[in-house]
Amino acid sequence: MSTAAEETALNALCGALGDEWVTESSEADRVGARRPKWVVHADGTERASAALRIAAEHGMSVVPRGGGSKLDRGESPERVDLLLDLSAADEVVEHAAGDLVVRAEAGAPLREVQRTVAAAGQQLSVEDPHPAATLGGVIATRSAGPCRHLHGGVRDLIIGITVVCADGTVASSGGKVVKNVAGYDLGKLFTGSYGTLGVVTEAIFRLHPLAEERRWVAVTLPDPRAAAEAARLLRISRAMPTAVELDRPAGRAPITVCAELEGRSGVTRERAAELASSLGEELGQTCEVSGTAPEWWGRLPGEPGTGTGIRMASRPADLAELLEGAGRVEDETGVELQLRGAAGLGVLDGWVPDGSPDESVAALVEGVRARAAALDGYTTVSRAPENVKRLVDVWGPVPSGALALMRRTKDQFDPERRLAPGRFVGGL
Amino acid sequence: MTDRTPEPESARQERQPVPPTEAAANPDGAFDAFNPPQRELIDDCVHCGFCLPSCPTYELWGEEMDSPRGRIHLMESGLDGEPLSGSMVEHFDNCLGCMACVTACPSGVQYGPLINRTRAQVERNHRREPGQRWLRRLIFGLFPYKRRLSALRLPLALYQRLRIDALLRRSGLFAKMPAHLRAMESLVPPVRRASRLPARVPARGRRRAVVGMLTGCVQHAFFPDVNNATARVLAAEGCEVVVPEKQGCCGALSEHSGREREAVEFAKRTVEAFDSAGVDYVVINSAGCGSTLKEYPRLLADEPRYAAAAERLSARVRDVAELLVELGPSARLNPLNLTVAYHDACHLSHGQGIRTQPRELLRGIPGLELREINRGEICCGSAGVYNLLQPRAAAELGDLKARNVRDTGADLLVTANPGCSMQIRTALRGRGADLPVAHTVQILDAAVRGERAESLLNR
Amino acid sequence: MESTEPAPPTREGASADLDGCVELLGKLLPEESLITDRQRVRTYECDGLASYRTVPAAVVLPENAEQVRSAVAACSEHGVPFVARGSGTGLSAGALPRSDGVLIVTSKMRRILELDIANERAVVEPGVVNLDVTKAAAPHGYYFAPDPSSQQVCSVGGNVAENSGGAHCLKYGFTTNHVLAAQVVTADGELVELGGAAHDAPGYDLLGSFIGSEGTLGVVTSITVRLLRSPESVRTLLAGFPSTDEAGAAVSAMIAAGVTPAAVEMMDALSITAAEQAVRCGYPEGAGAVLVVELDGPRPEVERTFTEVWQHCDEHGAFEIRTAADETERALIWKGRKSAFAAVGRISRDYIVQDGVIPRTALPEVLRRIAELSAESGVRVANVFHAGDGNLHPLVLFDGSEPGAAERAEEVSGAILELCVEQGGSITGEHGVGADKVRYMGRMFTAEDLDVMQCVRCAFDPAGLCNPGKVFPTPRLCGEAPGRRRGVHPLTEAGLAEQF
Repeated sequence: MSTAAEETALNALCGALGDEWVTESSEADRVGARRPKWVVHADGTERASAALRIAAEHGMSVVPRGGGSKLDRGESPERVDLLLDLSAADEVVEHAAGDLVVRAEAGAPLREVQRTVAAAGQQLSVEDPHPAATLGGVIATRSAGPCRHLHGGVRDLIIGITVVCADGTVASSGGKVVKNVAGYDLGKLFTGSYGTLGVVTEAIFRLHPLAEERRWVAVTLPDPRAAAEAARLLRISRAMPTAVELDRPAGRAPITVCAELEGRSGVTRERAAELASSLGEELGQTCEVSGTAPEWWGRLPGEPGTGTGIRMASRPADLAELLEGAGRVEDETGVELQLRGAAGLGVLDGWVPDGSPDESVAALVEGVRARAAALDGYTTVSRAPENVKRLVDVWGPVPSGALALMRRTKDQFDPERRLAPGRFVGGL
Repeated sequence: MTDRTPEPESARQERQPVPPTEAAANPDGAFDAFNPPQRELIDDCVHCGFCLPSCPTYELWGEEMDSPRGRIHLMESGLDGEPLSGSMVEHFDNCLGCMACVTACPSGVQYGPLINRTRAQVERNHRREPGQRWLRRLIFGLFPYKRRLSALRLPLALYQRLRIDALLRRSGLFAKMPAHLRAMESLVPPVRRASRLPARVPARGRRRAVVGMLTGCVQHAFFPDVNNATARVLAAEGCEVVVPEKQGCCGALSEHSGREREAVEFAKRTVEAFDSAGVDYVVINSAGCGSTLKEYPRLLADEPRYAAAAERLSARVRDVAELLVELGPSARLNPLNLTVAYHDACHLSHGQGIRTQPRELLRGIPGLELREINRGEICCGSAGVYNLLQPRAAAELGDLKARNVRDTGADLLVTANPGCSMQIRTALRGRGADLPVAHTVQILDAAVRGERAESLLNR
Repeated sequence: MESTEPAPPTREGASADLDGCVELLGKLLPEESLITDRQRVRTYECDGLASYRTVPAAVVLPENAEQVRSAVAACSEHGVPFVARGSGTGLSAGALPRSDGVLIVTSKMRRILELDIANERAVVEPGVVNLDVTKAAAPHGYYFAPDPSSQQVCSVGGNVAENSGGAHCLKYGFTTNHVLAAQVVTADGELVELGGAAHDAPGYDLLGSFIGSEGTLGVVTSITVRLLRSPESVRTLLAGFPSTDEAGAAVSAMIAAGVTPAAVEMMDALSITAAEQAVRCGYPEGAGAVLVVELDGPRPEVERTFTEVWQHCDEHGAFEIRTAADETERALIWKGRKSAFAAVGRISRDYIVQDGVIPRTALPEVLRRIAELSAESGVRVANVFHAGDGNLHPLVLFDGSEPGAAERAEEVSGAILELCVEQGGSITGEHGVGADKVRYMGRMFTAEDLDVMQCVRCAFDPAGLCNPGKVFPTPRLCGEAPGRRRGVHPLTEAGLAEQF
């Protein structure tokens, strides 16, 4: 963009949105390695649409932002002219408690949404390790916490969505009723699309009742096979756990496998005691029941904002192979991982602190990736220093048939490639 | 017992007589004006498809035109102007008439009358190829006639005793025989001598009812043991059993194959035989016959001289299991250490809604374990004379049934229909399993008489 | 209602070569897999919504994925539209054939390819009957959760197309929540794997877009479904209420108290009468409404909440409450509900099954309005619905032999849908849009909404050959940007399409 063109575009933005909604960017606004030219603030769908329309007219590339907790995710975009900040669009528009539904703007912090619905004894069954996470960010990056095990992911809970397309067109799909099969489901398509198809401005979610009582049943085992067996027994138990997680601290420490039970007061502790005793019997180990979650529960391993985070996944029954495979790669590369995650689903997060040589970290990623791929699984890099990102493919390979369809989808939604270009899989 | 059932007039003619004069073939459709499938019954079908999984031919081929919904659709298009083509007839012929779809239908579509009328139309308005015509003439000139069937017993017994079957198979000649003949040959059960039933069997103990017994054609010729066991069990339960001499075929085989005039004639004779017998109930141990007798009022609706008697008779008709449960079993049953699988004959379960009674009777025998057959609602492929007319489909269905029967791990198969009995035994043999087969009353008879389980297994 | 509106053309309508396509199909497929005999083909002219009928040019009955692929490729090569069909039980004419197209029927593809109990999943062909998945998994203590009323007939492929739910989707969700991966044939004849073996693989959730697209994005050839552990305990309760108001209040009380039943079903007096006649289910006599409530899960949890549910029903005016003591009694309670649609045939010669959704809390208001509509028009309406999620199934009764009756019923049925949209609900909760409700899409969505959805369609099926004329009123041309439609649409101008 020439200086003159930049000037024209900025004027158009200020003219359409109002001066106070357009600001210069700072270092804190970086999206990966790229610093945007301007930050445009939007307080709702309408202003977001206006911003995207002007961006389209002036050929500007756009990355949306909510709480800013995950701007380091994905590849660095090829270019970013505008950072579209939706934190001002933070209203919880409607909580229909009797219908177990909440509708909120994309910039609404997840915490706020939870606070609102908790007043009626309800919860949005989505967790995000970042306290600043907003609904929009949760959708775009497909956040998940332990209760993903029972309640499903964001895609399974989102029932309606409003998006602004690359040219400013506003479109909605779904609605505020849980059961609805009219039209295509854009909510699922946009979930986990990292801002590359459009900007989410509003969403409607189904809710669940809050449990009266919660209990955690945990067992610690030194051997990955035994840990995987514990996870399997919890996964197939008829106690219906809300979550089955594991934690393996650094240094190949013993693995703690922990299940959460939720339900009516009184009976939940009964169920937990029963589960602990039957599990203990099967494993020949003592299982602990606790009224509070372990301190690592629902948090990503490692220090937030530092180090290299990876996610590895396989079929749930291949958990032992996944764990052992990671162990072998650690031996090969001399880099140690902290591991934590959804043992019941076969999805684990790993973390390496800063300080290891970049090449070794990259080798670790590639090694884990190869082992996961052999199990029909995948490995992605959730965050990493730019030096490491330069050495590895953040997303890893995607099967060619599906990737071709994804490309065609991207071409339809963003034919000019102005929405977070290059940030997502396969350079989308 | 003498068997002097004369052949009905109509059956002697090569083609069915032309029905009343107004019946001119419809130039713009499949059916003539005499009793076409009823439009209002067709309209009851809402096309929901619930019948599909219950239909044996849909189970085999997964094609709409060989499903009840598809056949009703074909009837409808026939009424709407489509001609009675060879392909249309093929799909009607493929129907086993098992009526499982009637059980499955939530809208209460009366498929029975629809397919019966359609078959009658096909017989009247469609000229089959010569081989098929010859085969049908052979079947319908043989099975409904006890005397002719009985006359076959001796040569068949010789055939089996002299191991001609094995010889034929070894020589490869068997494989060269037409499929229909092969089917017929392989279905024949072991022919055995059995004592004849007297005209009257007194009740044991207090008399609770006088029952007339229909002895059937195939049952009579190939399963005389079943008739004897029926009479003994009934007597043990306090029934005086009357076996009217004049009875012949009830018309079931003809009725189910669209030979309506023939069926009507048989029905008239059966009504005559039992109307004057002075019995409280008419008991039947063959599922197909029972369901036809219960339908006599509809079959004889256009016969003013017989209509009232048909109503009287059908009100008294009971399947043997139905009657035993109705009376409440009172005979002392000895234990039988036996695991059996019970096969629902279509004409009993779908045709008459009799599913619980035989099971209840069997469960009442101390020591006996009853197992259910997976996909029990699917027909075994016997379906009257279907296995003779459509041997390929019938054999596939028989094999499917045999697999499911074998999977129960039972020692013995119980079923209340001679056709099913022959069909499943043949199919089991094809799978290398020689599972004994018995009728419900034979098991009860053994329990009443205190026979050992081995006597049933070693028959 | 008989016969359809003219089908909108495919985008390559002009270059279509139907004869060439059928000839090619004959070369590519085994003889028995291609049906062109008119009478045979005609049995496929409609699905479960028989008021829409179109005889397809040919029917293909593939036996494996490769045959589906080559059939689609042949259609694509000759520009011929195609429609996929499973068991043909759909209630929105979603599998209505095209007279200028090929119908691809998956009823012969009914193998369960893999039962992977260790990973709690199964891989099935699209023609596998929904209930057969559960039957196969049951001996291992698992089941397939989506349970549409037609589950003993409908195919998993059809479930994928329609995103089928069922009575138990209140707690467990729809087909889309239970499919992990699928192999599909896209409109250009390519076999593509969507989803994957591991959870949450990176990339666009194309599987989420595909499921529920009503056959407009491709033909599914295998499906990896999630199996759920069969619950430790299931309790079922039947409660008779004087009217739907009391029954509705009882449901509200349950939800407010934090109970998530596996299913909550309601039937009104007229539908109870019909079910009673059809299957003699023995529902409480004189009930103005019955509730069927089912709870499942770990035993202590179920026992506790079951007592609560019983109390909620009791407190809100239930005059009779029965609990199922065993599987037979449970089956009998469900029998009345599950047979309700077809059973209405016993009390009315003809009827329309409507499928609309409202926010659950609007139930009393909407039922009152439906009663008013019924009173004003003299058209009887029986109500059967999933009371937990506001999915209504009003059954609009009429006698087609009476002049004008069908039109009056159509009107009432349409007015009920308007009511649903007005309340912020949906025009379809589970039956789909198909051909039947295309005309209502514009009431629920803006032109921009529909255009943006069309972007997905264009990615999968740029030539518009895949089940054209369903779901969307007027197709945006691929390559044409959404939301900027100026002047008259070229197809409208050509008189080929109509804007609703």
